[in-house]
Amino acid sequence: MAEGPGRFGLVALLLWAASLVASPALAAGAPLDRGAFTTALCGDGAVQGTAVEGILHASAEAESGDVAWAGTVLRALLERRLTCLGGSALLLDRAGAADGRDAATGAVRPVAGGRAPVLGLRQRALAETASGAASLLTGSGVAARRAGLATLERRITSVPEALLLRAASAETDPGLKVSLAALAQSAALSSADPARRLGAIRAVSESPSGAAFSRLSALKADPAYGSDPAFRGTLDAALARVARAVSIGDGLAVLYNGLSFASILFMAAAGLAIIFGLMGVINLAQGEFIMIGAYATYGVQEAFRRLAPPAWLDAYLLAAIPVAFLAAAGVGIAIEALILRHLYRRPLMSLLATWAVSLLLINGVRVAVGSQNLQFAMPPYVSGGVPLYADFVVTWNRLFAIAFAAVTLVLTLVILKRTPLGLDIRAVTQNRDMAACLGIRTRRVDRLAFGFGSGLAGLAGVALCPIYSVNPGMGATFIVDSFMVVVLGGVGTVVGTLVAALGIGGANVLIEPLYGAVAAKVIVLAGIILFLQRRPEGLFAVRRRR
Amino acid sequence: MVGFTRRGFLGTAATLSAPALIRPAWAADTVKLGCLFSSSGTMANIEGRLNYVVRMAADGLNAKGGVNGRRIEVVTSDPASDWPLYAQIGRQMLQQEKVAALFGCWTSVSRKSVLPVVEQNDGLLFYPLHFEGDENSKNVVYVNSPPASSVLPAVDYLMGAEGVGAKRFFMVGSDYVWPRTINKQLKAYWTSKGVPETAWREEYVPLGFSNFQTLVNQIRSFAAQPGGQPIVVLTVVGSSIPDFLREFANQGIRATDVPILGLDMVEADLEGLDTAPLVGHLNCWAYLQAAKAEANTTFLSEWAAYVKAKGVPFSADTVIDPMVSAYDSVQLWALAAAKAGSFDVPEVRKAFPGLRFADPSGYTLTMGGENNYVARGVFIGSVNEKQGFDILWQSPDAPKPVPFSPYG
Repeated sequence: MAEGPGRFGLVALLLWAASLVASPALAAGAPLDRGAFTTALCGDGAVQGTAVEGILHASAEAESGDVAWAGTVLRALLERRLTCLGGSALLLDRAGAADGRDAATGAVRPVAGGRAPVLGLRQRALAETASGAASLLTGSGVAARRAGLATLERRITSVPEALLLRAASAETDPGLKVSLAALAQSAALSSADPARRLGAIRAVSESPSGAAFSRLSALKADPAYGSDPAFRGTLDAALARVARAVSIGDGLAVLYNGLSFASILFMAAAGLAIIFGLMGVINLAQGEFIMIGAYATYGVQEAFRRLAPPAWLDAYLLAAIPVAFLAAAGVGIAIEALILRHLYRRPLMSLLATWAVSLLLINGVRVAVGSQNLQFAMPPYVSGGVPLYADFVVTWNRLFAIAFAAVTLVLTLVILKRTPLGLDIRAVTQNRDMAACLGIRTRRVDRLAFGFGSGLAGLAGVALCPIYSVNPGMGATFIVDSFMVVVLGGVGTVVGTLVAALGIGGANVLIEPLYGAVAAKVIVLAGIILFLQRRPEGLFAVRRRR
Repeated sequence: MVGFTRRGFLGTAATLSAPALIRPAWAADTVKLGCLFSSSGTMANIEGRLNYVVRMAADGLNAKGGVNGRRIEVVTSDPASDWPLYAQIGRQMLQQEKVAALFGCWTSVSRKSVLPVVEQNDGLLFYPLHFEGDENSKNVVYVNSPPASSVLPAVDYLMGAEGVGAKRFFMVGSDYVWPRTINKQLKAYWTSKGVPETAWREEYVPLGFSNFQTLVNQIRSFAAQPGGQPIVVLTVVGSSIPDFLREFANQGIRATDVPILGLDMVEADLEGLDTAPLVGHLNCWAYLQAAKAEANTTFLSEWAAYVKAKGVPFSADTVIDPMVSAYDSVQLWALAAAKAGSFDVPEVRKAFPGLRFADPSGYTLTMGGENNYVARGVFIGSVNEKQGFDILWQSPDAPKPVPFSPYG
């Protein structure tokens, strides 16, 4: 239903009648009655729906000038730039503009007192399809036509075949022509011609998905399935092919989900592994270092907004990497120098102290910035996704996190295994007293390692910005999972942390579809407890002397 | 989070230090109102706002001379999204602070934990959220709607020809009493409409859950199955809402493919999200910011001015239903107390029947004599590009509330 429930009755009836008059006129290929069409768009949901459906079917034959015009009007309607005023509709250049052009006559008039209709879901779907059809038929660039085709592909069952044929015959771009032909072919599933139907079945199985499987399965109820062996054979082969592709796609999705969850766990836990392993400090403020990293990212974004040219804004996420690392490392080193230094070898005290620090940081940020979710302008490389195979979609934000985690892993290993600092850290981890005897300044190593561990958490903050909401309390979500990963992996080993993250992430993703997310957490936790009963030192234990 | 979590630990320690969390207000010619809204934990972003709204309403009443000649003092607290702590602090407020009424709770689990406390102490709790119904305590005023006047009209809309003709339903909820009860009632409702059991699926996630990849995969394969138009009935709460929406949009599902009916989704949950790929998803409340009413314009400007004047750490341009309902709660209490000429709970309660208040939604709130429910209007909102909701449908009047669902 459209805005203003009181508007039913006589007005609606008149509009309804107007749209009924308009639709047959369109179907005959006559020029579009633009006035009646816009009036119908300003009507209630049923009238809107009929008018838009009418234009979609008429697009197959109507004059291209009319189709292009209808596309413009529908796009304005979708973006709420169409304002109804009196009996006519005005198109605005942007939502909230003071003046608009009359959709039918082009005259410029003020929009004050007008009403921008809200589309219901059914009407929205129709309007999207019809405006997609208009861009496919009349779009000036290949990109615009391709976008139109993508829109039609989503709702292929409601697209008239004639429309696709018209588009295919008019298309000049060879690549697009091929995709169009394939789509037109697959739209012929219910065609009367048996040969075209078989072609359609094969075409549908070319792009397998769960929806394609459902469309093909529906054909099993067709009488031809029982009587025509060729039809039966083709359909069965196509179904088997789609089913196989869908299960491969689902398998890939499970792998991808497991990997992406594991990379998040690893990012959150890597810093903790170093801090916990080296100093035995149970750092409850680790989650807040993640939060600091995320807030630093936000700071970088705001700096880019104010200082850099707008074209550079998309690069802020990359520019934030060093800033987040240094910000979190700086806070970590300050906390080590001011508080933790005095509490070494008193694990309970340091646990309480880091908890106090975490409360302080959360509430400090809450007072300074506020507790609402921060507003990020997500660059294209971390928003949306691309369907890769069957129903398997690769989402960019998760891929970013996976790549980020991989790079972090490599850098961490290089620093630990190939640099003097890493050597010192490993020496102190294995035997603190002996390392001190050999002249290693353990206090300095502690401080640097604490800073490094905090910095890694800050990096996690950058990777998590595109995935989770950023607010002062975000760190609390990660702390339990992080400890789970570190304890399971074995205190003080980065490789152990990695394997544990992969194991926990994978187990969660495998169990979740079977028993639900709540049970998955319980089962994983119970599994970890049982495992630690057998091997209290975790998966990979660093040999050390106390 | 499961088992011995830091939240549990925080909760225990916060309980020990709870007296310090309540800021007392001493004065003889004042009457105290208590707030039970978290400013930390998973509910912080949305519940935190309500403390300020109650203060704003109290300031407004004080500017007009207070109630029964007394100034209103607002006592706030932080129950830290920890359900037992709501009861603990509620008891302290009633017994030590002697508040005349409590305003609080977002999740039903927190209300359920405060319920025995207000009943034992014969207190009064104003609850500003729409909820699962099936409860009628003389000590609680249910200011927002039970399912019969919020969820069911929205589900009916989606199942009807005007909506999308929904035939199949994927329910995703946080694992606690509100989502489970709502879903139980919905299933019974669908059964009464002849929808077969195979047409729905039900999944729950822990509170504060954020990794929705697998669930969104499941929703996509559910949507691909034959059997008619699917919809998602979303009853996750708190920070899970934006995280779910982000994953849903990133996996390329649009509202025109599978619409989400977000029962706890408010304007504040869309802050920080790019809502262009989310346009068209629905919610249902007794108030939407886009409501066309003079009282709404006044309320919006009053809130914006309050945020600016007091440095409130929330957006000045975002107003959500529970904020308005919390505001209404204070007004209803003030009207009842003035009508009774007293702050004693039994007297105030006697004054409830017949109360009327024209609130920012544009509907007139009324209280009948038979229960403590308030009649409210119904809005169905549709997400727009500007992180808000457009009004898709609204009820012609405020339907009479039905506390106990005939379904489930």
